Amino acid sequence: MRIFQYSIFAALLAIAISLYINVDKPIAIPSQPDQCMSCHENTTNMDVSHPIEVFGCFKCHGGNKFATNKKDAHIGIVLNPSRLEHANRFCGECHSDVVKRVNISMMQTENGILNTLKFQWGELSTPMGYKGIDELQKETNSTISLAENHFRKACASCHINQHEDIFDDEKYARGGGCVDCHRIEKGRTEGKKYIHATLSTKIPSSNCLKCHNRSNRIGLSYFGKYESEGYGTPYKHGEFTNKLDNSRFYYELPADIHHSKAGLDCIDCHTEKGVMGDGKKHHHMEEAEDIKCKDCHKADFKKADSLSVLLSDLNENMPEPNLIAFTKKKNSPIYNLQKNGENSKFYRKRDGKVFNLTKMSNKPYHISKIHERLDCSSCHSSWMPSCYGCHEVYFEDGKQFDWVDRKMTKGAWQEFRSFLRFEKPSLGVGYNKKIMPFAPGCQVIGTTFKDKKVEQFHFMAMAGWDPHTTQKEVRSCVDCHFSPEALGLGRGNLDIKDKKIVFEPFYNSKKSGMPFDYPIDGFVSSEGKQFQSTSRKEARSFNKNELTKIVEAYKCILCHDSYEDKIYKDFTKSKEFFRDGKTPCLK
Amino acid sequence: MFKIILLLSVFFSFTFAQDCVDCHQKESVKCQKSNHYTLQNAINVTRTAWGVKDSNVTLQTIPHSKIDIKKPADLVDDFLRRKCLKCHLGVKNSGEKGMKRKRNCLACHSKHKTKGKCQPKKIAMDKCLSCHNKEFVGTDYKGLFPKDYSHSFRAPLQKNGNYPSQKYGIDFHNLNQDIHYKKGMSCVDCHNNKNGKNWENGVACKECHKDLTKQNHKNYHNNISCSACHSSWNMSSYELSVFRDDMADYDKWKDLTLQEDGYLKKFLTKALKSKKKIKPVMPDWVDMKMKKGIWYSGWRYRRWEDFTLGNDENGMVKILRPIFQYRVSYRDANGTMLLDDVSSVDGKSLEAWSPYSPHTITKKAKSCERCHENNLLLKNSKKPNVIYDLKIPKNIEHGSALSEEQIYRLKSQKYKKERFKMLQ
Repeated sequence: MRIFQYSIFAALLAIAISLYINVDKPIAIPSQPDQCMSCHENTTNMDVSHPIEVFGCFKCHGGNKFATNKKDAHIGIVLNPSRLEHANRFCGECHSDVVKRVNISMMQTENGILNTLKFQWGELSTPMGYKGIDELQKETNSTISLAENHFRKACASCHINQHEDIFDDEKYARGGGCVDCHRIEKGRTEGKKYIHATLSTKIPSSNCLKCHNRSNRIGLSYFGKYESEGYGTPYKHGEFTNKLDNSRFYYELPADIHHSKAGLDCIDCHTEKGVMGDGKKHHHMEEAEDIKCKDCHKADFKKADSLSVLLSDLNENMPEPNLIAFTKKKNSPIYNLQKNGENSKFYRKRDGKVFNLTKMSNKPYHISKIHERLDCSSCHSSWMPSCYGCHEVYFEDGKQFDWVDRKMTKGAWQEFRSFLRFEKPSLGVGYNKKIMPFAPGCQVIGTTFKDKKVEQFHFMAMAGWDPHTTQKEVRSCVDCHFSPEALGLGRGNLDIKDKKIVFEPFYNSKKSGMPFDYPIDGFVSSEGKQFQSTSRKEARSFNKNELTKIVEAYKCILCHDSYEDKIYKDFTKSKEFFRDGKTPCLK
Repeated sequence: MFKIILLLSVFFSFTFAQDCVDCHQKESVKCQKSNHYTLQNAINVTRTAWGVKDSNVTLQTIPHSKIDIKKPADLVDDFLRRKCLKCHLGVKNSGEKGMKRKRNCLACHSKHKTKGKCQPKKIAMDKCLSCHNKEFVGTDYKGLFPKDYSHSFRAPLQKNGNYPSQKYGIDFHNLNQDIHYKKGMSCVDCHNNKNGKNWENGVACKECHKDLTKQNHKNYHNNISCSACHSSWNMSSYELSVFRDDMADYDKWKDLTLQEDGYLKKFLTKALKSKKKIKPVMPDWVDMKMKKGIWYSGWRYRRWEDFTLGNDENGMVKILRPIFQYRVSYRDANGTMLLDDVSSVDGKSLEAWSPYSPHTITKKAKSCERCHENNLLLKNSKKPNVIYDLKIPKNIEHGSALSEEQIYRLKSQKYKKERFKMLQ
């Protein structure tokens, strides 16, 4: 249906443009599509797809297109038609399918945050099922729970339909509906001209980073920025350096190879469906997300569909596709990965720069059964931003801005942390039952000051995600098989005594004032007892059996520490050999 | 108020604990030669790190910094006098909780009432810790690791809703404690003058632990110090940016008033509240005078789980710690940057790694892998990066890096065979 609409739209557009170009100017009947242009004649086009000569103003902004004075013309006018309350009427006239999808997408509903937050704070029994921000907007003061209060005062500042004008600093302004992502330059007056805001499907990563720079910090990590302890060091010219904003700082770590080697933007991987939604309501990001490493690095090429023809044409930087890759999950076209004969070429959307894509090899480490449960990110991630201890303090008497109601309301939050790390990501079993990097997400240790009473609560959780710090080089075998951090035990001394895993943690939580007695960086005990929760049904720490197996393998790795070693060619056979005493290991 | 305390301190320094010296003449002469009195180790290691050649001064002979500042070495004495040397036997109170002490002999020893009948009291650990806290050996014995400076680390709140209590100018993470501490021993139980040893020269574990017959104390570990294996965690404090600012520019420090410096905390708190411009001044803890300029500081990052090894001067393998990978800035009162983030002189970085013995001893030693599979020793760091690079020592003082041969032996066939047997 959507494709049909697109084609009709494209066809009409083409006819309109060709008509306009071919028409002999002097006998053009309506020289302007509406009366607006008699005042706003010096307005530039916002992009190639929406020329003002064809669209006029009224089509997108409403008002009265027949009026000849400002007052009448501006009745019912909408300055930003892409705000979601207007988008269906204006943008939706052509892009109705997209507008519908966006309206129930994660960036609109903020369901992912709300489900997790409310579950972790004990307001939902499972981390799913909440209806999202629209549900919140209906609330009255008396029904706002603690988690919802926190969401309103902190998380909700990132919302695709947030009001841009409430941000003090334009640099950090977010929201505005479709333009939150699609606008690449703001509208402005230049002399007598009005330069219309420019919109594009080539969304610069800086637009994504307006929001995706906190919590799991993917947007920062991908570009090699790690939010630091806040020292602002080194000092240059007597000032702090490496500022993220007025109170946050970073330092530089190796950026994701997709950025450092090819300068890829977020949209080079993340598909239109993965970002704007697939028309279904999802509980969490990973359900909405579309792309997987293998979609490109082990691509199946199929005939390009009409959507990919349209999108690649709109992009202008790549040839018309014939054979292209598709995502395995939602069958979205990856129209910038095209096959031409034997060669597959990856086109960077921003400028069409071509890259030869490295295919996933058939080496033992990729095909062996031993590691079949591993997500690519468990080996290929080089670091992970890990923020231990999320101390949330609530003062009922305070006042703070409510980002949902957009006014100052009662109650204020202050956030503290225990310590930060980036080295040696922990591993666990992720939401997809695959082994992947884990970091605190979130270790909430709350204190509330209410009715002159101090109350404390805590919910300690770890979360698994792809940190977007991919490198070609991987962690060494020992980095996982004999690393207490990787196993999820935390920082400390790991050893094997009498065939048993023994672990002595460094961190003493109780003495450090925490309301629990396991180490704050301990996901699981050496006995396989899980200390900290997760907020996904399938996600968990390694269990006893897994811990034993992983550490057991270290006995082989001690000498055979590379996959090139012949024992991994057929590891089952090698193990039999060992058991039968046919190997030189014990001699 | 602070000026009055300083003035009083100067006044009392003339009464050099005369009543102690009356009887303890011999000890007082000995004390004046001790490192606790001269502080020459701490002073000279920092001066050397900042590029002073053949540094050999003491607390008593340390000069004032030059007026014309061209390189870090010109400013190091000012830094020492105003940041580090607040810990010496003559300073009574540098403003931090837990760091008040009496002066001279009484900084460590307690007064006894009866003249003649000397019953020396055991020196309480708190007296030692009033100087030996934070980055160096001392508070690590109690399992304390200083938290980061920013106000956002002042957590968890206490049950009464207060911020965590501060001691020595900051609050702490609690890590594993030294087993000797857990068993109730204090500093002087080991560090004493018994059996003819010099209490300042360190203690050999073997003095007490004579029977080391277990499997791991084999010949091939003869040159490894006890603490290299038996310490639980250690101090790795990477890259300290220090900045002397003679301009009144305080706003940017509002989240960073806690810099392990009691005077600075009080000063900044006052200056940030005040409507008047307050002149930036900070005491010189050696001559006890207020002087212009404030020294600010901030780390790159600190870790308790990282470590690297090196040889000490006697050829024993020990844990190395960085002191402190300095980056030095100095802005004068006119706003001229006389030093702007200087991190090396003549290609040599402003650092001094030295072998040390973390006082975080546990009965169970480190697993073999923590050394034999240590990425920092094997130089397995994959991507060259300035942040990872801080973990690798460049200049080692009072010791040397592991030799190629030593590193090779970490992964020798002999090791692998031995370890494999242990794992079965």
